[in-house]
Amino acid sequence: MGLTSESDAKEAMKLCMFDLRRGQTEGQELDKILFFYPADLPITNQLSVIGLSEGLITFTRIFSPDAPCEVIEAEKHCHVFYEVEADIWMVMVVEKENPESIWRVDALRSVLKEIHSLFVMFHGYIRALVDKEPSGGLVRSHLYYFIMDFLSDFSIGKKLQLPNFRDSLKEQGTLQMLTVGREAAIEVQSLVTLLESCVGNKQCYSMTMFQDLLVSTNLSPIDTLNLFTYAVLRLTPIALFRGASAWSSLRKTDTACSTYAGALQVTSISAIDQYYNSHDPPSLRRHNYPLVRPLQHSKWSKGKDGFLTTDIWGTEVNSLLPMCPTIWLHLTEEKMFLLAYQHRGLTVILLVPVSSVSGDQGISMLKQQIIENASLKMLKVEEKLSRGWGGENAYHVSGYRYLLVDGDRYVSRASPPGKVTTLTKESLVALSKLREEVDLEKARAKWDNSGREKDIEICIRAKNNSWLIARLVRGKELYMVLEKGSETLLFAADATEKFSERYCNGAFSLD
Amino acid sequence: MTYQASDKPSIFLGDNLKNVNLHNMTGESSSSALSYSSGSNALSHVYIQYPPLRCHVPASRSLFYDDGNKLILALTPNQVFSWKTATYNPYAAPSSDQISEGPVLSIRYSLDLKLLAIQRSSHEIQIWNKDTGDTFSQKCRPESESILGFFWTDCPTCDIVFVKTSGLDLYTYGTESRNLQLVQTKKQSISWYIYTHESRLVLLASGMQCKSFTGFQLSSAGIIRLPKFEMVMAKPEANSNPILAAEDVHIITVYGRLYCLQFDKVAMLLRLYRFYRDAVVQQGSLPVYSDRIAVSVVDNVLLVHQAEAKVVIVYDIYADSKVPISAPLPLCLRGYSRASVASFHTSTKTSGASESKNLSATEETIYGDQWQFLVPDLVLDVSNGSLWKISLDLEGISASSSEVQLILEFLQRRKLDAEKAKQLSLAIVRTIILERKPVPMVARAMDVLLAAYSQAIKTGSYNKRSITEEISPSNAPNAAVGETITGTDVSRSINQEPKSVTQKDSSNRSIVATSESDGSIEKTETGDLLEPGLLGGEDLPAGTSQTHGPTNNQLNSSATQRKQSAVTSSAATSPADFYSHVFSPIVEEMMGDGSYLTAIIAEFLRSCSLEKLKVYPNTYVLLVQILARDERYAELELFIMNKIIEHSKEVALQLLDSGRQNQQIRKLGQDILRQLSLHHDYVLLLVQDGYYLEALRYARKNKVTTVRPSLFLEAAYVSKDPQHLAAVLRFFSDFIPGFKSSPDHNTYHRFVAELNSSVTG
Repeated sequence: MGLTSESDAKEAMKLCMFDLRRGQTEGQELDKILFFYPADLPITNQLSVIGLSEGLITFTRIFSPDAPCEVIEAEKHCHVFYEVEADIWMVMVVEKENPESIWRVDALRSVLKEIHSLFVMFHGYIRALVDKEPSGGLVRSHLYYFIMDFLSDFSIGKKLQLPNFRDSLKEQGTLQMLTVGREAAIEVQSLVTLLESCVGNKQCYSMTMFQDLLVSTNLSPIDTLNLFTYAVLRLTPIALFRGASAWSSLRKTDTACSTYAGALQVTSISAIDQYYNSHDPPSLRRHNYPLVRPLQHSKWSKGKDGFLTTDIWGTEVNSLLPMCPTIWLHLTEEKMFLLAYQHRGLTVILLVPVSSVSGDQGISMLKQQIIENASLKMLKVEEKLSRGWGGENAYHVSGYRYLLVDGDRYVSRASPPGKVTTLTKESLVALSKLREEVDLEKARAKWDNSGREKDIEICIRAKNNSWLIARLVRGKELYMVLEKGSETLLFAADATEKFSERYCNGAFSLD
Repeated sequence: MTYQASDKPSIFLGDNLKNVNLHNMTGESSSSALSYSSGSNALSHVYIQYPPLRCHVPASRSLFYDDGNKLILALTPNQVFSWKTATYNPYAAPSSDQISEGPVLSIRYSLDLKLLAIQRSSHEIQIWNKDTGDTFSQKCRPESESILGFFWTDCPTCDIVFVKTSGLDLYTYGTESRNLQLVQTKKQSISWYIYTHESRLVLLASGMQCKSFTGFQLSSAGIIRLPKFEMVMAKPEANSNPILAAEDVHIITVYGRLYCLQFDKVAMLLRLYRFYRDAVVQQGSLPVYSDRIAVSVVDNVLLVHQAEAKVVIVYDIYADSKVPISAPLPLCLRGYSRASVASFHTSTKTSGASESKNLSATEETIYGDQWQFLVPDLVLDVSNGSLWKISLDLEGISASSSEVQLILEFLQRRKLDAEKAKQLSLAIVRTIILERKPVPMVARAMDVLLAAYSQAIKTGSYNKRSITEEISPSNAPNAAVGETITGTDVSRSINQEPKSVTQKDSSNRSIVATSESDGSIEKTETGDLLEPGLLGGEDLPAGTSQTHGPTNNQLNSSATQRKQSAVTSSAATSPADFYSHVFSPIVEEMMGDGSYLTAIIAEFLRSCSLEKLKVYPNTYVLLVQILARDERYAELELFIMNKIIEHSKEVALQLLDSGRQNQQIRKLGQDILRQLSLHHDYVLLLVQDGYYLEALRYARKNKVTTVRPSLFLEAAYVSKDPQHLAAVLRFFSDFIPGFKSSPDHNTYHRFVAELNSSVTG
């Protein structure tokens, strides 16, 4: 089932991960491959993709040892390189032929980054896994299920829909934050304090979200980003709803559907194994590793006590209680229990060091304590936040289609997707091109003068008479599309100025 | 009943109070309690301060207390000496008046001090006019009635009230006719009566057991008759009925409310009755551990002296709680030592040998039979004529309680020694933070203090501080200040009472309280429970009542002396106090515990925002310092973005300072400078960071002319870019008139040339 029509999918995109330290002797090349999508691509094709990539990396290293090959732009394909860990590379190959396939390399690379950082959050570093079991079976099976689950989020109909020009008013790998008033912010802070006091003296972290937006956290920026990404994918009320209804309905109606995503969803693990076994190197076939698939769909649900539960991490040996999820912190490489409490739009995620809690009993005691001491406060905070929230179009600014990125803090804000779709394709394609240029300029500035940030200001009148504006000021970026503007440059400048004064505290108005 | 401070609360449940266990127990409790006590060596919560006021004149026969004027009167056969006690000063000198010889049963000055009434017998009261020297007598029918006593009143319809066995006679004094005219008689058989001027309330006992009471309040607002009520008395056995005596009933005023305390010797209970306008409601009872008790009120705190056990129990009858504030401890004599006795001798030069003997005996005579407790907080030792003032040891009380919230609330209600209460409150918070008590506990403590502060601001008592300072030398006596505050407190107490009470006691059933309020503002603020008409002024302060003018002059004589104590009239702690007394002193000590301190300050901010109080800006600076020191930059950013840390120049500068290690933090500081339109600082900063072109653009846009051109030029020169330097030079030449002839221009013009040549060369 579903396995015959792979031709559709495999053409669109290839994604591989390989380890340059493995398989360096002839005949052992297969050993390099840690992951390949589509898995049913003939081994020879897989090897040729990887061989080409490796060759380029080795070649470019001669000139630029610190930053070898980043991208190959061929006539029909685009290869995006990303070195996730030392000597471990991910390469994504996308086609250019399709009219929709207008890619921005940085957006594609951020998908790779996201895969890796999420993987590390749940499973630890790839290198560590490779070293743990040199045969590679462990890391391969982890990677396989993880990336497959990850990619399933991109599948629309029969295809994987990677971020293309239509997403040029979006920034992958950034946080979206809720703007809260001072009073609410203090209330949230007070809740955080209360939660911490529930945990006791041990150092713990928390992340508070409202709907899909971050409210407050005391995690490091990288951990915040990872956890936020995961929460938006699987934990927030919207994600839960998606998991519970939309996805299952898709599954019901599309059981016979031959898309990859459908296949993954419909088939149980054993089915996947079959699929896998039929196409993959023999080394993967004999795996009997405890598999944790944090990105599996429809696995999280809200319990009666308000805590989110999942059996992804398995169940305890002598009881049916699911094990508490664990993640790794990026900076300290500390293993943490993940507790997520949800009340309506409010999701509070608490990370407690595994070392400080005595197993699942300790966790359930902690949960009890939180329910006793903090649930009332969470109720209050939720009320306060939802009163101040303007709905999904809260950050829409009429007349503008914009993207604001604060690169220092990994924060972005953009026009709501529903509003972005009103833009014409020409505008979006042009913006994508513009951003590509800006990305290049940024990269160049980074190499040129370290430490100093370059301010950039670009206003372009596109063919369809829309204004495309990019402004970079001291690490902050603003991209705008104005479709119904008058034709003078003055208009564009004024509009930017007005926007900057009103919504960015004047951050972009320097002259 | 439980004692909050006690490790062994059960000790006091028994009736064996009179043993030395007390000392052990309190020793334990105070050692286990919080350790911020800095005061007395002896364990006590209530003390009398040496030296006492010596009310002793040679050949004096007896001492009287005139509570209407707060005078101690000592009689010699032909003179009366009077000491003012309204402001307690142990070195006060008496004034004297001549009186004619004869027996004296009771003696009181009129409230304007112009008349002196002396009860000569149970049938005759003599009144002497000081100004004219006239004397006349008012007599009653000896066969049918006798005079139990009398008192002067500020009631508008009468001046003096005679209490007779047959009822009350209300008289006015005619200044023309110079005699008393009977205005009204309230017929009723009376066994005995009690009256305190403080409450303006006279309670008349009647009946076989003397437990049926009627009462009148004769205040400046008029006469109010209280409903008749019976006191409860336990029966010892079937056939005997105990008789209530006058000394077993006390009228007290706390927080502007009137209570009557009845000592039931059989049940060993002190029953509480609260007076409302149209009802008298029994409100529980307090246990008693001694056959002989006395009652004082210090700063609205009720002290029940267990005379035989020689301990005093402290109650704060504010809410419905009948739990003592702290464990019972003896009354302590302070400041007494041989040395101080000697110095006292030399300084006062009063005749000596008997003095020291008497004084050394004082310690033994504490709670002796010679002790008379005077309303509200004085003790007169009749045997040697010493008048002691009872004071609360706030330090001791706060040190012996571990219930932080309760003790803080208690301290915040103190008005008499408000500064001390304030310092203690802050010290308590400081201590619990230093002891790393759980955050919610500290948060509650701060809530209490800030709520009290916000309340004090709303009622105006906090701001009165400064006003008081200004007016006290000129006109208003300290007493007036004190009363004002108490008046405010009344309104506060009532406002904070549970809603249910408010609804139950609807306005027509309001308190019969002598609110010691002096201003109309307080009157309106007191809400519907206190009828403005009821507000009677005790020692009506200057300016509010002209009829009392002469009195005021007398009171005012020492007003300037008392200015010092008038400075603080509220124990409320402002956010600035929190910064200077709590956060700032401990920040160094809490070095390693930044997250705890952050949480505490965040809670403090929450508390402030709850009460809508403005946070002292340095608190934010401190918070920035702590977060930056712990390198918790992400949180710091969040605090700034969410404006949990309110933006100010101080914060911006601190961010710039802390941002030396972290560019993003520095940027935050810059952004704040820009957002606050601190153009000069912002431009300066840009130049310093080498963004001189941006700085120029910004300076031009916002018309900043205060930054010296040489700074821009220097920055451009450092960048070694001749084009940029030339551009900057050109900019100033174009926009600053006369720049071309300045030395800067010449210097940098040369530099441009040099750079150019070096580039080309």
